[in-house]
Amino acid sequence: MKRQAGGFVLALAVLWVAPLVLPIGDYTHNIIGLTFMFAATALAWNWLGGYVGQISFGHAAMFGVGGFVAARLIIAFGLPTGVAWVVGGLTAGAYALVWGHPTLRLRGPYFSIATIGVGEASRLIATYWSGFTGGSSGLSLPLSGGPTKYQLYWYGLYLLAAAVVISYWLRTSRIGLALLAIKEDVEAAGDVGVSATRYQNLVLFLSGTMVGVCGGFYASYQAFIDPQDMFSFDRSISLILMAVIGGIGTILGPVLGAVVLVIIQEFLLASYSDYYLGLYGTLLVLIILFEPLGLAGLLARLKPLRSTP
Amino acid sequence: MREVFTLAVSAVLLAGFYAAMAYGLGLIYGVLRIVNLAHGGIIMAAAYLTWQLFERFGVDPYIAIPVALVVFFALGAGIYLGLVRFLPRGPAGAVQSLLLLFGVWLIIRNVAYLLFTGNEQAIHTSYATRSVTVFGSSFSVTRILVFAIAVVALLLLHLLLTRTYLGKAIRAVAQNPDSCTLAGIDVERVRIFTFGLGTALAGLAGVLASTLFAFNPSFGAAELLKSFVIIVLGGLGSIVGIALGACVLAFAEVFSIYVVPPYLTSAVGFVLLVVVLVLRPGGLFGQRVLR
Amino acid sequence: MDWPKWTGVPLAEVSLLMPSRLAKILALSTILVTAGCAPSQGNDDDGDSSAIPSKIVIGSTLPLTGSESKTGGRFKQGYDLAIEQENADGGVDLGGKKVPVELNLLDDTTDQAKAVNLAQRLITQDKVNFFLGTYSTALVEAQSTVAEQNKIPYVNGGGAATSIYAKGFQWVFGTLAPVENLANTEMEWIDQQQAAGKLPKPARVALIWENTSHGKDFRKGIQDFTRAHGTNYQVVTDESFALDGKDFSAILSKVRAAKPDLFMVDAHLPDFITMQRQYLSSNMCTKVLTYGARGSEADARTALGQDGVSYVLSAVWWNKQLGNTGLNKAFVDSFKAKYGTDPEWYQAQGYEAARALLTSIAKAGSVDKSKVRDQLAGLDIESILPGGRLSFPAANGGQADYPFVVQQNLPDGTSPIVYPADVATGQGVAPNPNCKG
Repeated sequence: MKRQAGGFVLALAVLWVAPLVLPIGDYTHNIIGLTFMFAATALAWNWLGGYVGQISFGHAAMFGVGGFVAARLIIAFGLPTGVAWVVGGLTAGAYALVWGHPTLRLRGPYFSIATIGVGEASRLIATYWSGFTGGSSGLSLPLSGGPTKYQLYWYGLYLLAAAVVISYWLRTSRIGLALLAIKEDVEAAGDVGVSATRYQNLVLFLSGTMVGVCGGFYASYQAFIDPQDMFSFDRSISLILMAVIGGIGTILGPVLGAVVLVIIQEFLLASYSDYYLGLYGTLLVLIILFEPLGLAGLLARLKPLRSTP
Repeated sequence: MREVFTLAVSAVLLAGFYAAMAYGLGLIYGVLRIVNLAHGGIIMAAAYLTWQLFERFGVDPYIAIPVALVVFFALGAGIYLGLVRFLPRGPAGAVQSLLLLFGVWLIIRNVAYLLFTGNEQAIHTSYATRSVTVFGSSFSVTRILVFAIAVVALLLLHLLLTRTYLGKAIRAVAQNPDSCTLAGIDVERVRIFTFGLGTALAGLAGVLASTLFAFNPSFGAAELLKSFVIIVLGGLGSIVGIALGACVLAFAEVFSIYVVPPYLTSAVGFVLLVVVLVLRPGGLFGQRVLR
Repeated sequence: MDWPKWTGVPLAEVSLLMPSRLAKILALSTILVTAGCAPSQGNDDDGDSSAIPSKIVIGSTLPLTGSESKTGGRFKQGYDLAIEQENADGGVDLGGKKVPVELNLLDDTTDQAKAVNLAQRLITQDKVNFFLGTYSTALVEAQSTVAEQNKIPYVNGGGAATSIYAKGFQWVFGTLAPVENLANTEMEWIDQQQAAGKLPKPARVALIWENTSHGKDFRKGIQDFTRAHGTNYQVVTDESFALDGKDFSAILSKVRAAKPDLFMVDAHLPDFITMQRQYLSSNMCTKVLTYGARGSEADARTALGQDGVSYVLSAVWWNKQLGNTGLNKAFVDSFKAKYGTDPEWYQAQGYEAARALLTSIAKAGSVDKSKVRDQLAGLDIESILPGGRLSFPAANGGQADYPFVVQQNLPDGTSPIVYPADVATGQGVAPNPNCKG
């Protein structure tokens, strides 16, 4: 336990200092900052998908709501960036509850299918509601005033740190036990006095809020957002891919998954952009068939080998 | 009044296509308790197959149907034997199969990208822009043909399921796989056949879709969702259930133009999906099995 | 469920992480975030921009695959031709030294996010000197932000919406005149026909627009015109549709119910083809039919057949019938020599965007970004575009401004210019003779 906490703090410190002492190019620096954010979204998805076992195909909805609320607040009221993100995030969390409260009664594939519906309906409505989202032409954020792309690296790091801490807390607190019980058997959990509704709502709210804050980060990072991209089905998918490829239900996994996805994407972006879907798909199939714990599971298997002298 | 008539007939024509589209998904769920997330990918692949046959060999899209049925039956059986078979049964398998078949969808999409690029394609038959006038209202010839084929296909399927030994075996497995084993039915073979048949039906839907819409490799996502809506609405039950579900969705979409902007037509189905799932928790499918 | 149970944290250690400690960590990270505790920009080296390089690299992305692949390919032809001509005599003259130009062009697959990411990479990692924009308003709108953020001259021939140029950007220049003008020019021709008694008064207008800045500008243009003409026009449907739609049957049902005389649509090429196909198959027929700038493309003719595109009205930013003299002749001839086909307005815009950038670099005599920007801002050159001059007036935020030409497809396969009268090469037809009754 102490070693884990120590390792976490050390990793944070190293990542915090790294850009100041290492000769990292601007582009790489920015991409790493974005990777932190992706890892945070994957962790947030995992609270619901991994800890409760409710696979959401609609998390882009919260990413979009958070991003657009934050962007509007920055544009209209010049709110400080961090505050705008948090308000955007909370709005996204509230939105998640609005559809989540009724649908979380559903389990397994039913819930997943409902989330596809929620995600796609949100996308269509957001794209149509051009008064708020700018429609297909999107919103441009002011280019000065907020943190620069260079500084966003550290903001991304804080987001990731917060996501890791919350993951840890959810896992190790009483709530973690309750979630595990719900995931194993909802009815049995109810019999021993664990209110599935309350706990699932709490987790979805947290997850939606975190993803919403990340949406705000993304808006600041890109300085331009449009609903087709923010709310896209592919964005929901990418959260699933990161978490599942990295290792569903773990803390290290979604982070690893985010790193792997960003590396694949960057490597393929310019010349082989046609291959990435197939690569993700193949990874997904292989992981489901052979290593349900993903990359984190693979690492855990390798560990004993390393520790033997 | 003329307007309402036109819209109603359009809705019925659309419902035929929707029913054909949803049946494959429903069949696989009913027998294997697996949601085939690759359904949309199969529809897209079949559209490309039809397009290739038309462009290269001048095969009319509707003549291509038998080819598509065979190809996609084989593909479906292959997916089952190569992948789905290894998953655990029960709720755990349900979630895993969701992700696994989703992976398959991504792969199919990618193969289509590699073969045909992401460019938009459409099949331009000589009769694509023709229309027929009935009681002063005009209807597209392709939509009428699609409806007719869908209805015939569903009737044939109904006969297959109710009048043949194989069909009875499928329904028996859907109801109780364990007692089937006792009764000497080869459950595994029935499952292979069902997955193949469900995929072939998705292939049929793809052929029909290719004559109605333009498509690219990401085509099929909306079709997959609409198929869900239909199954959830109508219950898996029977041809009747599917037909009813398809009608509800088609009418809701077509007549929604009086209430919501046309832009949001496709959102109608998704909202309907969520509402029905919530009002009938546990879903409508799975409660009634194939009868 | 035997879904993964490995938690990453042994549950036995639950009690060790005290809530108070957690609160401290959370509070700390919150303070860090809100205090904006992040180092500021460390290195801001632009390289030595005053030195004369061995080559000039222009970054660009275009939709070479995806829904706009055909148009993207045409813009590429325009870019390539302009750069090839520049390199034919050694390249751009930078203070007496000829420096060859290289185009670093990537495929953005008609995807907004990808257009942005690729531009970011080209600018911040590959350090391209200048940027030529992608095609279609939605993508340019997203991509131009990257150029402005990184202070790199960005010239595009694919973004027409005024909103791109209304953001106060200093580094973004566009050769397409505003879509509002397009709508307005088409309405002027229609107004003439109405005055001549060929179209009913009041004329019922179905206004259908793509839900992008492009479409919104078109809508505004039509609305402004119809408002200014009081009772002569009546907008009976006003609906938007999603870019890259696959099924327009709902919107067409609504249009049909409204019984319009004028079917005024703003769409991009793929949506035009899909919508026109569904329009024809539902046996609709309106007295005037337009899809904004689309209609005269050879692709449309192939996809819909000659009958399918007959009498479609379109207003475009350039047409090869504009004159067979001077720059226009030189462009059309060299284009034909290189590609063996006639250029359409897409290639002309790509060519002019590239030429404007190359001319400005030569005038600046340097690859210094702000010097080239200043040259672009003050540019006023002879051009193949209607009106004969190209400049990027600051009053329009760097968007060029010139008249449109209105064309109409005729059954014989030609698309003469029918408006304005001074450049007209044929007579327009209204109402649509295809409609019975």
